[in-house]
Amino acid sequence: MSEMVGKLFGWVNSRLPVSNTFERHLSKHPVPSKVNFWYLFGALASVVLIIQIVSGIWLIMPYSNTEEEAFASIEYIMRDVDYGWVIRYMHTTGASMFFAVVYLHMFRGLLYGSYQKPKELVWIFGCTIYLAMMAEGFLGYVLPYGQMSYWGAQVIISLFGAIPYIGESLELWIRGDYYISGITVSRFFALHVVALPLVLIALVFLHLVALHEVGAGNPEGVDIEEHLDDDGVPLDSVPFFPYKVLNALVGIGVFMTVFAIIMFFFPEGGGYFIEMANFEEANPLVTPEHIAPVWYYSPYYAMLRAVPDKLGGLIVMGSAVAILFVVPWLDKSKVASIRYKGIYSKVALALFGISFITLGYLGTVSVTEVRKTMSVICTVIYFAFFLLMPIYTKYEKTLEVPKRL
Amino acid sequence: MIEKQLNILNIKLSRFFVVLGLLISINSIDAAEGGPCKDYGECDEFKYSLNDMASLQRGASTFLNYCYGCHSLQYSRWGRVSTDLQIPEEIFFDNLVFDKSIKPGDLMVGSMSKEQSAQWFGVAPPDLTLVSRVRGDDWIYSYLRAYYEDASKQYGVNNLVYPGTAMPNVLMALQGNQKLVCKDVPVIAKNGGEKRDNFGNTITKEKCGYLKVDEGSGELNKEEFDSLIYDLTNFLVYVGEPAKAQRERMGWYVIFYFLIFTALSALLYREYHKDYHK
Repeated sequence: MSEMVGKLFGWVNSRLPVSNTFERHLSKHPVPSKVNFWYLFGALASVVLIIQIVSGIWLIMPYSNTEEEAFASIEYIMRDVDYGWVIRYMHTTGASMFFAVVYLHMFRGLLYGSYQKPKELVWIFGCTIYLAMMAEGFLGYVLPYGQMSYWGAQVIISLFGAIPYIGESLELWIRGDYYISGITVSRFFALHVVALPLVLIALVFLHLVALHEVGAGNPEGVDIEEHLDDDGVPLDSVPFFPYKVLNALVGIGVFMTVFAIIMFFFPEGGGYFIEMANFEEANPLVTPEHIAPVWYYSPYYAMLRAVPDKLGGLIVMGSAVAILFVVPWLDKSKVASIRYKGIYSKVALALFGISFITLGYLGTVSVTEVRKTMSVICTVIYFAFFLLMPIYTKYEKTLEVPKRL
Repeated sequence: MIEKQLNILNIKLSRFFVVLGLLISINSIDAAEGGPCKDYGECDEFKYSLNDMASLQRGASTFLNYCYGCHSLQYSRWGRVSTDLQIPEEIFFDNLVFDKSIKPGDLMVGSMSKEQSAQWFGVAPPDLTLVSRVRGDDWIYSYLRAYYEDASKQYGVNNLVYPGTAMPNVLMALQGNQKLVCKDVPVIAKNGGEKRDNFGNTITKEKCGYLKVDEGSGELNKEEFDSLIYDLTNFLVYVGEPAKAQRERMGWYVIFYFLIFTALSALLYREYHKDYHK
């Protein structure tokens, strides 16, 4: 019997690089032996991606992508489909968790210089994933066709209208109609369940291939490739499988516990994960008192509102995301990790973190004069962090990086 | 080494407090805005109990007798309600379902046409399946108890939680005639204590906007009425998400599972960890 299996495996293996790929990317793939919890969020992001794809497929089955039935079909899922509520809450919680995990993953990148040469492409693919996720999240939020779906989409799509010359026709082209309608819902559905997931999966694949080409980083910023053993394997490394897989498994266990607590006890996340107004069916005639995006977009929404001019706001918002792509060329530091960078970098990153969280909060509440001023200040800090990076990383005193991990 | 760690901890802590301080300061600005319960002030807190079948059954009965004439529960099915609330189907259909052509699988779509009701009330009474999720249970519990006499309004009543509401006080016969009254309240000094005059008597001033029911004008006393509204709100919480009780029950098992999962993988990880950290 085992001989048969062995033969079959040999047959497949000589036609498909199974064991080669397994060895190269798993069992023999060297990863730094010493990393901290910040390095778990990449693995967690892929776990959430799988949760989203699987729960998404099951949601598509009972969901109806028409103007008349979209909202009712969600309630049908919540009530009449066996364990439909489990699937739906898994997906809504997953959406928020996806962003939470990715934000922490990106912050890890800034913390330990995970974008520095030769990891520029890894970082750029990552930023593109983030961009695709934002689009995917937005499209998905429209599908339940509640009040926030409708008015959120109204706000976002009308932003494109601020672009000179082509704005209005662009808006029309996105909506497919003169106002948000069933046509918009069904095209957003197609994009949300087919187009963007394909893009996301392709990008994740590229992100990982590029990462495996240049090797994973570590919190010390040590280049483990510089000290190899006789077989050419870095001395400060362990094989990905089983060591890192087991490490990730512990992280996944903790993460899934948190996930379950939210999903089963706080699925609305206090109105931040599922907004209360979205339990009301979309009504083009009634504008909600207070339109706020879901928490993961709110920092950018606060920036948008900080600028009085619509086009200006759009440009600021776009630049805030675009500037992430060029970070590898803004950081002029000799060292990668925050541990060995100077005081300027530390202060800058701390201020950046605080201003981003504050913007996130400001984006969820209504505007007052004080809040508007705070949004402006935080937006300035956000951009200063990036724009001044070439200066403060170049002229600060850094510490000596150890040779070994 | 320890000094360095303490230093890092210190930085982390101070950063944490800066963020915390910032958020609190923004939040205190928040408090200045009007809450969801408008003129009522803070909404009364409501604590649902979805395992209290008797309460849910009484709530369902109140809803079907007093509310369902105008308000539908269009995403909910008759049979599901009777099953979830453990009301035997026969008793349920004999006593609470007034249209005898209705089958258990039917949706509770209401009995009034939207066009007609919009003509009668100015606005069609909204579907209430999800009202507990849109407004919150605190809001409903406060709203239904905040009606007061106001001769200037179409139905002779107004509401502190929802000023200008289009709904008449359907439960007035039970509650009685509630009015806005003024009463003398102690003046509070700057130090938080009650102000007193030279003779030690509390200084009071008249303050208005208190709700008071005319004694004996309703079938129920205040406690009985509050408990009726409690059951009704509880029922609306149930209808808003019928799987809620099951969800919270199931959650404990899932969390328990993942805790075991984490513990086992941590033990396994520790064994393998020994390979390279001797």
